[in-house]
Amino acid sequence: MDLSELEKDNTGRCRLSSPVPAVCCKEPCVLGVDEAGRGPVLGPMVYAICYCPQSRLADLEALKVADSKTLSENERDRLFSKMQEDRDFVGWALDVLSPNLISTSMLGRVKYNLNSLSHDTASGLIQHALDQGVNVTQVFVDTVGLAASYQERLQQRFPDVTVTVKAKADALYPVVSAASICAKVARDQAVKSWQFVEKEQDLDADYGSGYPNDPKTKAWLRRHVEPVFGFPQLVRFSWRTAQAILETEAENVTWEDSALEEQEGSRKITSYFQGEGPQARHPHRYFQERGLEPATAL
Amino acid sequence: MAAGAGGADGECARQHVFLLPEYLKDASKKIKSGLMFIKLVNPCSGEGAIYLFSMCLKQLFEIKVFKEKYHSWFINESVQSGGLLHFATPMDPVFLLLHYLIKAGKEGKFQPIDQVVMDDVFSNCTLLLKLPELEKLLRHVTEEKEIDNKKYYKYSKEKTLKWLEKKVNQTVAALKVNRVNVGARVQSAAFFCSDQILSDKEEDYICYAHGLISDYIPKELSDDLSRYLKLPETSAPLPNPPSKRLKVSNEPVEAKEDYTKFNTKDFKAEKQKNTRMTAAQKALAKVDKSGMKSIDAFFGVKNKKKIEKI
Amino acid sequence: MESSCEVAVDKQRVHVRPATLHDAAPAVLHLLPCDVLANRPAPVERFFTPAISQGTDGLQVSFRGRSLRGEEVSVPPGLAGYVMVPEREEGQIKREDFRDSENNGEEDEQELLERSFDRFIGATSSFSGFTVWGLETVPGPDAKVRGALAWPTLAEAIHAQVPEN
Repeated sequence: MDLSELEKDNTGRCRLSSPVPAVCCKEPCVLGVDEAGRGPVLGPMVYAICYCPQSRLADLEALKVADSKTLSENERDRLFSKMQEDRDFVGWALDVLSPNLISTSMLGRVKYNLNSLSHDTASGLIQHALDQGVNVTQVFVDTVGLAASYQERLQQRFPDVTVTVKAKADALYPVVSAASICAKVARDQAVKSWQFVEKEQDLDADYGSGYPNDPKTKAWLRRHVEPVFGFPQLVRFSWRTAQAILETEAENVTWEDSALEEQEGSRKITSYFQGEGPQARHPHRYFQERGLEPATAL
Repeated sequence: MAAGAGGADGECARQHVFLLPEYLKDASKKIKSGLMFIKLVNPCSGEGAIYLFSMCLKQLFEIKVFKEKYHSWFINESVQSGGLLHFATPMDPVFLLLHYLIKAGKEGKFQPIDQVVMDDVFSNCTLLLKLPELEKLLRHVTEEKEIDNKKYYKYSKEKTLKWLEKKVNQTVAALKVNRVNVGARVQSAAFFCSDQILSDKEEDYICYAHGLISDYIPKELSDDLSRYLKLPETSAPLPNPPSKRLKVSNEPVEAKEDYTKFNTKDFKAEKQKNTRMTAAQKALAKVDKSGMKSIDAFFGVKNKKKIEKI
Repeated sequence: MESSCEVAVDKQRVHVRPATLHDAAPAVLHLLPCDVLANRPAPVERFFTPAISQGTDGLQVSFRGRSLRGEEVSVPPGLAGYVMVPEREEGQIKREDFRDSENNGEEDEQELLERSFDRFIGATSSFSGFTVWGLETVPGPDAKVRGALAWPTLAEAIHAQVPEN
């Protein structure tokens, strides 16, 4: 998989697509959606779609695609190459959401949670297939959350398509299995070949699975915590595991929108206000509006 | 003036970020520049404040500090908490001399200036006596007598008010040149006024300038000046609201923080509208920027903290 | 009310080491939209600088998982930026010798400018501009700090000597 686009800039999102097989624009197609790397505290989350004509589903099944989690890395790589060989009837596209994008979305002034980010990305990919001219008639989506409301929302967004959202869809529908393989191959490759934006780091890649409960991952996080910056941008700062380490091992940082009410109370009142009473005077509005006050100490 | 040099692991000495007049650098080429920070009285509050004094240039500088919550500096390979930015700007020493003259003036007699400019707490005030043209400066605000070649001074309120009026006038001119928004407290901290606001009444400028000058003189004199300038009674408390109204006076400041997200031009055109923006509207405005957030991304929106609650 | 220590501080002079003002090497400064509650070394060159990119609405970077937008601002004309650090108490020993110039008789008073209880401060670096960062949005002309940068111009006018009658 060619991830050079991601390697150039891995701070945002990056979309990769296969060419659209000509047959997919003519015949009614089945499209599967799945994701890889939702849970890890490290690296990108990848959303993938895979589609093929309904008439060729048996051919896709013949590849023996299965839920990517039940396959070894080698098997996944092999199956992905096979899908590449079958490019005359199988198409795919994926969105790589960088850990930085995930962090800054989830920690934004207006919180953009992972569910919304996931759903919007999935919809975006389905729309992308439609925009490319793929004749999508059926969509199968794997989900970890509540399937019913998600399905309703997708159905509303794509009224001309039959949408099925189901837990474990990656094990039930070959197109979803295929999508899960695309996603997982991309995620693994992205993590393995991660280009650290941070310079001259002696960063080892021994971060294990990336899942918060993996001791290797935890050890890696503790090894690479930096008191001021926290972690390299490979890490999802919005994960509780990451935040917990920062709380104890990094300097405190206060933000305008995350300040606690109590901090408001302990706000430093300058010396003008010490002498309360009729004499107390405040800086002129000119100064107040510009955050200026006389210096009282060096 | 705590040095802030900590012994804690990784801590380093406090770094002060300053903007100084460029010519101080040239003056410092002389071995004896005599440039020093000293504590003198703040003639407005009567409390101590930091000043910079150049012995070589015989010049006094006021130090104002930009201090807003939630800032810090990266300075090369270090971090400095607080994000303070200090400004050293030349200060008219007459404001400081006035503080002592008014005090001495209560005795109602002529005195040698070195007996007037004396301070048990801020003893560095005697450096002011080294100022060039001290006599010329004193002439603005005192009556003067010469006996046996020695000069004696007495505070003159009348001359002081005349001098302050000139100060106000030159400030008004500067406010106009610099297009400072002096209008009534609009819910905006737009620092530079649009063409519409340019038609601000002359009186608004005078009130504003009076308020600025009042930051350098005692309250009583500020009130006297207000009457002298025949400013409307109601505007007098505006620049210096009683402490209980601090929150009110902070209001435009707080409001501003939300407006920064809008295009300044649009904001100015729709000032009236925007003053009534709801939290949801603000959130929507943010979305237009990102262009990728779904509607359910906004359930996390919190109402902006009401500053009145401090 | 005031302790003797405070009184001493009020009388203290903090002398600027003159040579440091022209020897100070240029520094890179960033004003962040958050308070890092520490004064300490930080690997800015490794973590922050390489992550800065030019976006459609100004500079962009992230810090601690939050998105920042920034813009360069210049020190107003006529001013020079300095980072100044007070010397530790031990620094006082290194006192400059003024006796030569006193012999010039340039001053009427032979007063020592520097006294035993004074302190010293020196510029460690200089700057002619810095980057102001806002949380998710460019600070823009209405940011308080941008307003503050206009103060020296107005100050000059307020504090200019008024003509005598």
